[in-house]
Amino acid sequence: MHTAHKKTLLLIGILLSVSMLSSLPLFAISAEEIIRKLEENQVHETARSEGKMIINDRFGEKVTTFKSWAEGEEKTLIEFTSRQERGQKILRTDDEIYLYFPDAAEVIRLQGAALRDSVLGSDMSYEDMTGGKGLLDSYRATLLGTEKIDGQECYKIELKAKGRGVPYPREILWVDSEIFVTRRVHMFSLSEKLLKEMRIEEYRSLKGKTFPVRFIIEDKMKRNSSTEFVIESIEIGVDIPSSRFSLEELTW
Amino acid sequence: MKFLVNLAFKNLFRHKRRTMITSIAIAVGLALFILIDSMLVGIEEDSTRNLVLYETGSARIMDAQFWEEHENLPLKHSIDNPQPILEDLEAAGIDAAPRTVFRGELIMQKDPYPESGSIQAQITAIDPQRDPQVYLIDESISAGRFLKEDRLEAVVGAWLAEDIGAQVGYPLTIVTRTKEGFFQTIDLEIVGLANTPNPVVNRTGIFIPIKTADYYLQMDGSVTQIDTSFPYQADIKKQTSKIRSVALEDRPDLTIVDWKILGKDFVALAAAKSAGSKVILFLVFIIAAVGISNTMLMSVYERIREIGMLRALGMRRHEIRLAFLIEAGGIGLIGASVGVLIGVLLNIPLVNNGIDYSALMRDADMGYRITGIMRGLWSTATILTAFFTGVVLSVLMAFIPTRKALKLQITDALRYQ
Repeated sequence: MHTAHKKTLLLIGILLSVSMLSSLPLFAISAEEIIRKLEENQVHETARSEGKMIINDRFGEKVTTFKSWAEGEEKTLIEFTSRQERGQKILRTDDEIYLYFPDAAEVIRLQGAALRDSVLGSDMSYEDMTGGKGLLDSYRATLLGTEKIDGQECYKIELKAKGRGVPYPREILWVDSEIFVTRRVHMFSLSEKLLKEMRIEEYRSLKGKTFPVRFIIEDKMKRNSSTEFVIESIEIGVDIPSSRFSLEELTW
Repeated sequence: MKFLVNLAFKNLFRHKRRTMITSIAIAVGLALFILIDSMLVGIEEDSTRNLVLYETGSARIMDAQFWEEHENLPLKHSIDNPQPILEDLEAAGIDAAPRTVFRGELIMQKDPYPESGSIQAQITAIDPQRDPQVYLIDESISAGRFLKEDRLEAVVGAWLAEDIGAQVGYPLTIVTRTKEGFFQTIDLEIVGLANTPNPVVNRTGIFIPIKTADYYLQMDGSVTQIDTSFPYQADIKKQTSKIRSVALEDRPDLTIVDWKILGKDFVALAAAKSAGSKVILFLVFIIAAVGISNTMLMSVYERIREIGMLRALGMRRHEIRLAFLIEAGGIGLIGASVGVLIGVLLNIPLVNNGIDYSALMRDADMGYRITGIMRGLWSTATILTAFFTGVVLSVLMAFIPTRKALKLQITDALRYQ
């Protein structure tokens, strides 16, 4: 009886060590490290870009073009250039969002429930643009394993909100294991329903960094509703005067 | 004097056609006045009742901060631990019900809905047990049934259901935010449609059980408001201060707001419409007055020669004036009596059955809280006003031409064409 017990223990020990060894290559890097590498890759000192936003819904397709300037994670200025929205601007500084409408010549600070409104009818809300804090400040990351997305090996990472202040209580990120860029993001509601999906379709490498230049956000609660973002030209490390992100400049 | 009265009445019955036409003018004007007033007051009274019984309750207890930002419905400023307040109110005999009001997006998918789509909506979470103490939503279910506690179900305003193509048994998903700010989805089944006498509830109302909202919105037992009900005619100030002393003594964070402030859009509208109603009534009054004065003027002018003859026979001016005024008063009396009688008779079906305007009210938002049947209301003051106005106005309107006729020389009056 005693020997049998010992044998069972030994067997369990062997099985455990084998399973740990087999999973070693997967977990050689921690979820936090992956997120840090990802953020390093996707955040630039300064960037100037031009692109378009293609909104698809049951009313058809609508294309909006824009120019944008960004400094770090927290300062962004978007100016719309398409005919219908020409001159409209969105300024994000830290956690504040300001809108400028040329027709009304007025600057509006968005707050409260207004932050949840969609940007020009797209599947992205103003709130999705805020929260420049790093992902690891707001979320607890867990590495769930690896999965192939579009033929690329990706780390599947679960992000769970540490507390209030973020709209999505849970997100799942698929991060390319070679170039450390996001390939897909799923955003869930508190009752675990998939709300939005972001698919990154194209990347560009510049000055040693790789970042998405074409991605699609789909509202999974609505049928046939998606918004495609295309960055047509981008320069990074350019000189942008800090006044560019000031309220005074917004009305120019 | 007896002679003058006799003369006046003889004149009244001698010119039967004239008396009849003048009286009819007075009667129609006054009957119209009574009916329009009855209707306007009736609409306002019904609207107020429907506002209180289906929309605002008599007075609402809220967190002071919530009330300040009530347009955004901030769940973070809700009433923590409402149970002791409800118990205190119950002990004091005040009907009260907790509610949580929040915003969300309703998601409809094709099949079973005719079209996929979404709309922004305000959702009201109610306690199916307590809510009927304050509101009458449970009595207005036109299809299906009322809510049951703690279930994933919804009652939807009948007009809203019609607009989105919903029926009992259809699924409904709400995308909203929890008290903590997280995105949340609630999958519900429509179990009933509410067809209330309040168009706002029919057009926008979505009700779910409060326990369901509590769980899904991370409310931890808190609610956004406690609605109370007290008799409609009661003094609002007295009642709110009673509620304050009974339940809010140790809760300085909470405030109480009565229906006049809660429904201030309607109250302001009612005030504006009441001014409008007065204009309408004034116009009706003018029409009646012009009719009366016109016929009285004619009846006096065509008798100037008669006045000249009476004076030639030796009657004094004041006697003739009195005779004419008594005659005018007589016409006024007949017209006013008939007018009041017609007004009252027509007002009976208006008060009891009302006029069905539902086809008009369904699509047009007139701000009134009535869904279609406009009922009249009895007002003794209006009936008495109409009656005395008819008589006094007739006398006044006869006074001016008579005075002018009496100023003429007897010879001129006799030759007056």
